[in-house]
Amino acid sequence: MAEHLLTVDGLAKRFRRGDSTVAAAEAISFHIDAAETLALAGPSGSGKSTVARLLLRLIEPDAGSVTFEGENWLALEGAPLRTHRAKMQMVFQDPLAAFNPRATVARVLDDPLRIHRIAPRAERPRRIAGLLERVGLSTDLAGRAVHEVSGGQRQRVAIARAIATKPSLIVLDEAVSALDVSVRGKILELLADLQRTDGIAYLFISHDLGLVRVFAHRVAILDGGRLAEQGDARAVIDAPQSAVGKALVAATPKLHGFTGQDAS
Amino acid sequence: MSAAPQVPLVALRGLTVAYGDDALALSAIDLDIRAGERLALIGESGSGKSTLALAVAGLLPASAKSAGTIVWGGAPPLGGRDIGFVFQNPAGSLDPVMAVGRQVAEVARTHLGLSWTDALARARDLFGRVGLPDPDTLVHAYPHQLSGGQKQRVTIAAAIAARPKLLIADEATSALDTIVQAEIVALIRRLVAEDGMTLLFVSHDIALAAELADRIAVLRNGKLLELGSTRQVIGRPQDPYTQSLVVAHISLDSPPLFAATTDIPVNG
Amino acid sequence: MRGRFLQTPEAMAGTAILVLLATMALAAPLIFPGDPLRIAGPALVPPFQDWTLPLGTDRLGRDVLAELFHGARTSLVVGLAAAAASLAVGAVIGTLAGFAGGLADEALMRLTDAFQTVPGFLLALAFVSIVGPSLSVVVMAIALSAWTGPARIARAEVLSIRERDFVAGARVVGMHPLEIAFREVLPNALPPVLALSSIIVAQAILIEAALSFLGLGDPNRVTWGGMVAEGRTVLRTAPFLSIVPGIALVVTVLGVYLAGEGAVESAAVKKGLS
Repeated sequence: MAEHLLTVDGLAKRFRRGDSTVAAAEAISFHIDAAETLALAGPSGSGKSTVARLLLRLIEPDAGSVTFEGENWLALEGAPLRTHRAKMQMVFQDPLAAFNPRATVARVLDDPLRIHRIAPRAERPRRIAGLLERVGLSTDLAGRAVHEVSGGQRQRVAIARAIATKPSLIVLDEAVSALDVSVRGKILELLADLQRTDGIAYLFISHDLGLVRVFAHRVAILDGGRLAEQGDARAVIDAPQSAVGKALVAATPKLHGFTGQDAS
Repeated sequence: MSAAPQVPLVALRGLTVAYGDDALALSAIDLDIRAGERLALIGESGSGKSTLALAVAGLLPASAKSAGTIVWGGAPPLGGRDIGFVFQNPAGSLDPVMAVGRQVAEVARTHLGLSWTDALARARDLFGRVGLPDPDTLVHAYPHQLSGGQKQRVTIAAAIAARPKLLIADEATSALDTIVQAEIVALIRRLVAEDGMTLLFVSHDIALAAELADRIAVLRNGKLLELGSTRQVIGRPQDPYTQSLVVAHISLDSPPLFAATTDIPVNG
Repeated sequence: MRGRFLQTPEAMAGTAILVLLATMALAAPLIFPGDPLRIAGPALVPPFQDWTLPLGTDRLGRDVLAELFHGARTSLVVGLAAAAASLAVGAVIGTLAGFAGGLADEALMRLTDAFQTVPGFLLALAFVSIVGPSLSVVVMAIALSAWTGPARIARAEVLSIRERDFVAGARVVGMHPLEIAFREVLPNALPPVLALSSIIVAQAILIEAALSFLGLGDPNRVTWGGMVAEGRTVLRTAPFLSIVPGIALVVTVLGVYLAGEGAVESAAVKKGLS
């Protein structure tokens, strides 16, 4: 069997709450292949974001193993970890909170190029312009402060930063949830396009099953820190087996009944 | 719309609002909110939907400049008593150092002239009505001890504590996950029906609005683009922008963004 | 911001005082060239008697007005330098403690406690008497006693900022922890720390005056504290020699404090509006 891009096995994390500890993630196992999108879905507090933060080494797990690009990802520390971070990037839910409030667009994009020595200083402005163009933004935006640009543009800048280091996996933590519908569709198309051209895999975290169904290849549904079920995104969502999967599907607002297909 | 049989609870005529020197947040809005209806205001960020809700509730910030009229069908309303307002962020509308029961009781005491004992009893009843578990214990809880969904139930209890005629929910479920959102929407639907309230439901989510509202008003850049029954607006949208919103909505039956997925391994 | 800053009368008065002081300090060598400690006339001339010596002379016949102008230089230089040093040291230590957390945080904060439990003035006094009085030593002595406040505030700010998404974002990008601490976190933690600056400047000016009063100031410079001490011996016959520099000190501290309050308030208003 060919090796997966990312293999997560038995990942667990408990948080202290008062005198006791609560399992935020327990026995989480899944894998992602290159150019594949795995969605993590589930209600608030189901452990989606904990899993994301564990993968990105923002917090450390209590147990479990993570193999990424054939390496023991959890064994990396210090400078080697920082170097390897180039391959696993993240886009946050709130693009405003994800950037230093004092930063300009150019600085946000300059950081990864500088830190990972992707381009010498003289060449970086050209690279930044290239990144902006790749995510469908005008190169004039480079000099603007990140808080001055619109929400949709800001999320495009976040994507540009994430792809600057040519990652093989990007964690999208509710990356389109806060955007207006009209913007959301275009951002999803951009992400799908990047996956097609650059072979990037996504871990797509969302509580919105509608989005999961159109965007992800496979889905893992979490509940209370545990995996409730996983499988082909459309198969799972069209016929959920777990209680939480059924509840999520039932709770998703539906437009049909009002649209043209309606008989009356 | 002018031939509506119902008496409007509130009629907006030429309502225009501006913040500072920026572009108009609302420009010349004519809108009737009919007594007893569930009206949804939908639009994207910057559409003016929240401004409109605040203007109806008389909660516009002092810095906002407004023109036009807001005419009420009956006696002019008293904010807090005749209009209940539920905000997006329940944590922001609750006092962190006051027991949640007292916060609800205070509304009842102020506007219904109840004694503290009666007001607290009413708060307990309301906690039961909004589906909070174990109301006798929970009235003594503080906001940080509650989940996001529970906090939003408390703010709904506070909003209806003075038996308002009009309930305004401004993105009241946007910060909640899908399951809790569905529960809160069901709760709002039940409370509005039981108390005969009029509902103004502000949302960016067209499908959520469609599930709850009798009529939908579509706003964009401060202008009212389209107003009609939910069936009309969703099923046969007239304005190109409304059409684009309906098309852009991603639901459980939308076609996938990927043409083929057969080459993706599904082994576990 | 400037327009709003000058709106309150307090801020206006404070700024006016500081501008006047700065002008005095800058103009001192032009208006009163040469050594202000040289003898300019007969001893103990009372103020407003001789227009060439408007504020009179002291026990040794030195021009009091010239001393006052040159003393403004010392007060302002020491005040600003000591405040800058203590803010810089405090911000760096507070940022390191807050950002590193764990053992490093514990160690740095206990060090802060240790410094904070010793009264600041005694610490400065001990430091100067050991190292010897000179302007830079006085600045260091004051900074030594004043960095703990900025350190505590910086740490508290950093503790909340380091949980924000943009710090997580910087880690994901692979930024070195020190760069995250000083380039991403510290600049955002600074505003509340800087709000302390007026209090620290005022405090530093007073400590400097007190040290000079006790004879532990730089002996080669005129200081207001030294002038008060100098006048003390003839307090009954020539009280103006102590009163004039005393008033200068009070007015300066008041000016620093009022202007500082105005700046903090206008920053708060600006933040509230945006």
